[in-house]
Amino acid sequence: MSKSDEPGTPGSVTPTPSDGPGADPLLRVEHVSKAFPVSSAKLFRRSHEFVHAVDDVSLEVHSGETLGLVGETGCGKSTLARCIARLYDLTSGSVTFDGKDISTLTRREMRPLRREIQMIFQDPYGSLNPRRRVGSIIGDPFVIHGIDSRSERKKLVQDLMELVGLNPEHYNRFPADFSGGQRQRIGTARALALRPRLVVCDEPVSALDVSVQAQVINLLKDLQEEFGLTYIFISHDLSVIRHVSDRIAVMYLGRIVEVAPTAELFGNTRHPYTRALLSALPVADPDEADRRESIVLVGDIPSPTNPPSGCRFHTRCPKARPDCAVTDPMLEPAYDDGSDHLTACLHPLAAGEDMTLDRPQIEDSEILAAPAPGSELAKEIRDEPGPH
Amino acid sequence: MSLDPTSLGGLVEAEEIGPATPEGEAIEGRSPWLLGWQRLRRDRVAMVSLVIVVLIILMAIFAPLATWLTGHPPNEQYRQIGLTPDGQPKGPSSEFWFGTDDLGRDIFVRIAYGARVSLLVGVVATGIAVAIGVVVGLAAGFFGGLVDTVLARLVDVILCVPFLLVAIALVSITGPSLSITIFVIGFFSWASVARIVRGQVLSLREREFVEAARSLGASDPRIMFVDILPNVLAPVIVYTTLLIPVVIVVEATLAFLGLGLPPPTADWGGMLSDAQNFYTTAWWYLLCPGAALLITTLAFNLFGDGVRDAFDPRSDQLLK
Repeated sequence: MSKSDEPGTPGSVTPTPSDGPGADPLLRVEHVSKAFPVSSAKLFRRSHEFVHAVDDVSLEVHSGETLGLVGETGCGKSTLARCIARLYDLTSGSVTFDGKDISTLTRREMRPLRREIQMIFQDPYGSLNPRRRVGSIIGDPFVIHGIDSRSERKKLVQDLMELVGLNPEHYNRFPADFSGGQRQRIGTARALALRPRLVVCDEPVSALDVSVQAQVINLLKDLQEEFGLTYIFISHDLSVIRHVSDRIAVMYLGRIVEVAPTAELFGNTRHPYTRALLSALPVADPDEADRRESIVLVGDIPSPTNPPSGCRFHTRCPKARPDCAVTDPMLEPAYDDGSDHLTACLHPLAAGEDMTLDRPQIEDSEILAAPAPGSELAKEIRDEPGPH
Repeated sequence: MSLDPTSLGGLVEAEEIGPATPEGEAIEGRSPWLLGWQRLRRDRVAMVSLVIVVLIILMAIFAPLATWLTGHPPNEQYRQIGLTPDGQPKGPSSEFWFGTDDLGRDIFVRIAYGARVSLLVGVVATGIAVAIGVVVGLAAGFFGGLVDTVLARLVDVILCVPFLLVAIALVSITGPSLSITIFVIGFFSWASVARIVRGQVLSLREREFVEAARSLGASDPRIMFVDILPNVLAPVIVYTTLLIPVVIVVEATLAFLGLGLPPPTADWGGMLSDAQNFYTTAWWYLLCPGAALLITTLAFNLFGDGVRDAFDPRSDQLLK
């Protein structure tokens, strides 16, 4: 039954199967990679190093659901979001929206699709132009997409402001006159202006006061119900993600390590990294908190310029075995999981397994030290896609 | 300046904003420009400078009024009443308020008319420089890559050109005229504007609101002029007010070197040049146009400082 002994081919990930039978996903992300050159290209010199921010990620998002995307800072969540919204060009892979491949569209061809896919940004201070009035910021989508009548626009904008809980009379104010939460409402109004089908929320509440976070999250949920929106909701805060998401994808160092419906992910965690993340989640009950296992990962997240060989998590994984440094695990159902729960791990956690008892069975030195030339391991490691 | 209008202004403002406007009032948000103007209004030095600048502008516009007051046209040579018996300039008197020059012309009237040349060149040449500089800086900063490399090198080249030598060479080929003076000064002044704008745009284009505009499907020109330009306008306006006096001095320099407007047009630099031979006998001849030039540039500079403190306090190091 266990698939842990079958090494996957490095880099190949099976696309997430549809969880709604027969339904085509609204968004399909297939083998998407995005690499940034490390030093900017000069006139006569090209840089050769790349940061592999997103590496071979596949995802599906179904109409009307909220997919949570969670992971540490720097794991590529935001880059993936911007690839989906086509703010970045993909290095490789494809993004299919509503059956149409949008990954190679030019900016001009992309324009009509901008109505369908919108983004809500993280920084409520940076995402609004400080020199423009709120009315004209929220009215921007209408101007860009050709609703030119000034009076009509004002009406639409004020309706939107009311919708997101702002006073429509504040139409002529500047962003500086608003609080962080109100600014995030402005950003939400702008994103919803064209009635998009997919909204990519890039850490929409991370910059907000905790008391305000709930208001904004509830607003987003209400709007989802009212307009049948589909969300990709990015956050590093698991409690927020748990609250809003139907399904959750956990990212680590540019890869998706585990995807599952929310309850399944929390109740039947398979990936050691997910378990470590969940164990860091604060619990309100102190007795419960004392009893809980707490897994503290050692070390920093490795550099995405030169990601570790094999499983990318093996340098910090309490369960790491020698083969983890060699074989790149595929994203597939572990044990008897359904097709909607995928894990990319060679040694996934069994139900009830206590990870605190685990000690890595490989030493860091074993990973870092260069193996003897010609050895199997050396060959494997050299063949890893790296900055060459 | 010994005064520090920024900190003063900030304090006063904090107090005024303190009692928050009651709900429902001031629905119209105060724009950054309005806030800047309110800060500027409290800067006494800047306001005095502004009054002087306005007076100089009025003097230029209503220069014929000086003729009407004194009854002396600017180019009329009063060889009988305007010169001493041995042909020397006459000092200030009730007839000639600022004295006369070596040809017996009224210096007061000529200074009023000279203000027209100085301000016209100052404003128009600065306008040209700022227009070119903003467009080049926006393009270089926004597009980056090859466009930026080429434009940045062009800026370096322009900044390296020995301006006065080229100006002298150009004017001696084409002959002195108002348009060539404006063109030469304008063409050699835009590079620093471009640099300032480029630097600002480089940081602005990474801001999330630019990304937001992109995700809405805004075109490049729209992002450049609707989203980015308003945010670089503050340093541009500051630089403009500080560039005008520089241009006025450069124009006076060219005129002093004999490359200004052809005589007998009244021009401060030209008057200074003519006065060189008479400063031992006719102090007013040198002093009056010199003072006019000094007051004008000083007023513009102090006003520019005030504008900078009010609109763009952060660019202090940027411009100095």
